[in-house]
Amino acid sequence: MSGHSDPRLAREALREKIIGLGETSLHKSYYPELQSRLAELERFRALLDQTYDAIFLIQAKGGRVVDFNATAQRYLGYSREELLSRSFEDLVCPEQRSDFLDYARRKHRSPAESGETYRVSLLTRDGRDIPMEVAFRSVTFGDDRYIVAIARDITERIRIERDLRIKESAFESSINGILIADLERAVTYANPSFAEMFGYSGPEALRGMNLDRFFVDPSVAEEIVRDLLQNRPVILEVEGLRRDESSFHIEVSGSAVQNETGQPFCIMLIVMDITERIRLDNLKRESYAQLGKNIEQFAVIGDHIRNPLQVIVGCAEMIDDPLAEKILEQAGLIDRFIAELDRGWVESANVRNFLRKHGEEAELPERRPIQPDN
Amino acid sequence: MNHRNRLELRKFVAPEFVCGQGALDLAGRYAHNLGMRHLLLVTDPVVRAVGWAEAVGESLTEAGVSFTIYDSVSPNPRAGEVMAGAEVYWSEGCNGIVAVGGGSPMDCAKGIGIVSVSGRDILSFEGVDQVPLPPPPLICVPTTAGTSADISQFAIIKDEEGRRKVAIISKALVPDVSLLDPEPLTTMPRDLTVDTGIDALTHAIEAYVSNASSPITDLHALESIRLTSKAMPAVLENPDDLNLRFSTLLASLHAGLAFSNASVGAVHAMAHALGGVYDLAHGRCNALLLEYVIEANYEAASIRYDRIGAILGQGQDEWMSPAGVVAAFRRSLGISGTLSTLGVTRDMIPALAERAYVDPCLATNPRDLSREEIEEIYERAL
Repeated sequence: MSGHSDPRLAREALREKIIGLGETSLHKSYYPELQSRLAELERFRALLDQTYDAIFLIQAKGGRVVDFNATAQRYLGYSREELLSRSFEDLVCPEQRSDFLDYARRKHRSPAESGETYRVSLLTRDGRDIPMEVAFRSVTFGDDRYIVAIARDITERIRIERDLRIKESAFESSINGILIADLERAVTYANPSFAEMFGYSGPEALRGMNLDRFFVDPSVAEEIVRDLLQNRPVILEVEGLRRDESSFHIEVSGSAVQNETGQPFCIMLIVMDITERIRLDNLKRESYAQLGKNIEQFAVIGDHIRNPLQVIVGCAEMIDDPLAEKILEQAGLIDRFIAELDRGWVESANVRNFLRKHGEEAELPERRPIQPDN
Repeated sequence: MNHRNRLELRKFVAPEFVCGQGALDLAGRYAHNLGMRHLLLVTDPVVRAVGWAEAVGESLTEAGVSFTIYDSVSPNPRAGEVMAGAEVYWSEGCNGIVAVGGGSPMDCAKGIGIVSVSGRDILSFEGVDQVPLPPPPLICVPTTAGTSADISQFAIIKDEEGRRKVAIISKALVPDVSLLDPEPLTTMPRDLTVDTGIDALTHAIEAYVSNASSPITDLHALESIRLTSKAMPAVLENPDDLNLRFSTLLASLHAGLAFSNASVGAVHAMAHALGGVYDLAHGRCNALLLEYVIEANYEAASIRYDRIGAILGQGQDEWMSPAGVVAAFRRSLGISGTLSTLGVTRDMIPALAERAYVDPCLATNPRDLSREEIEEIYERAL
């Protein structure tokens, strides 16, 4: 009788309601509630239909599919009637069916742990296999037990996993040392070659170590990281520091790895042991220097030969002897040999340049030809 | 009597009911058809002891419907009993209710139904049209002939703390099915037969004189009075006569159809107050108040009261007033005494009148009664 200060009006309002003519006087009907629940179900169904996962409701006894979401239909391409007439087992690709049934029998005896999934390929209407990761859960509606199967297409994941395995394998088998560190220079990954190069038992021993530890000059690590974060290329030859504190020559190149927003989140270094290369370079450098010296000596000897030859020619020209002609002829022959050697070895610009480059800039003397006095 | 406009709007709500011998055996079929899988069978210890709850249970089992029995129901069902029943309903995973018994188990079952869908305290539904959600399906199997809770939109629950009876009135409380079988009535003791019979008569009389009565409720009310006037005295002589029991059942059905739609009046408002304070049998309170309320109301509905007197008083002194006829009738059934003999004391009358004055049933009394007039009626009935 609230809402009316006049008791008569209040009683009249109450009477109206008792008669059954009140605004909210409704005969018992489940329809409004049914409509509300149906709308709720439709909203929920719409949510389920928009998921990335295919969802199946399976009768525990017999395994028949009794409901599914739109994603399941999109993946597999069956009509509603076709899916409802199949058991879940029919949807498993024939090669895996036997394994799947074994799994289903096992799980029937001891239900799946929370979070446990099973990988199986489902068969589409046009005969393709879609690799799926499926989580099975048991639910009870009334007296009936059902299995809810939530299946996720893992085609892309498998491809990514394969690519990752290839890359991982490349990392692992690379003869170059590969090292990944976070921006605080703590090692997060090192490949076996890196560990071996620096004298460690295995890559795991390096995890968490500071990058500074691998350089004779620890400030090198900081410089490398700084340059990489400033997008400057890094290729440098420095002295590496092994676990036993011995040093060796290394060539380090690196790059910063960026996240999806372009922000660097780690750095990757490729390290080559160049000790042998340095040794060979030094050896070559010494050899070329020696060669340059030898050629120079050869040129000097040529000049030394030419001087007495010049005297012999001069003497031969002064004597009047039938042999003089022969002597001059032979002296000319020797001079031509020497000139030919000069042309072939010393006057070759390529040889000189090569020697200049690799022979510590060894300079060769200017050549002068031997001329008979007129 | 107040002049009534015949064109004034009226409604008539009735549940499906099956009446006749063996109706009780249909409980299982109806429960199954209403989609019940596991139901709460609400009854009371007495009804359970005489075997009617078991008989209904057999029908349910035959139909493949399982059930949990809840029989912690006392006469004038308490709010606490309703809430405890709702706990059982939830914990047992029930999806429907079957009530077997008199008004108390049926009102308690209605209360459990309301609470089961809302989770709220039953007392929060007090008043008219305060039940927003439809309760679960309810099948009633009455084992008394008088309360008509199996037909009506009423549930009367006792607020123990407030020592009052709370009326919950809503069309949502009308049961889905009532199975009216005369056989369970044969196990009623004489006093219960009388009290419930007088309750039915009071329903019919109050509905007939109600300011919310209609031509349809009038038909049922008058037929109920006619059946009661003949069957009640006879059934007390022949309590095992199924035909007579069936007549009392029909009288109760007609009264229920009448009062559920036209409502009742001052007798029920005042009886609710008495029941709340003294925990008395509802039918007995009605019986001891009815003639005095008729006297107080007479001028407002004299023609109707006269007609009631004519039906009930056939063969008696034609000059006897309707109130006198009613008094004679109840005495003929063996109901004697006054409110005093039930333990009511004069000092409680103002409090009783205050409670009766705010009872919703008073809204359809043919005459507006003041608190003082209600006190006066209590005084006279004392």
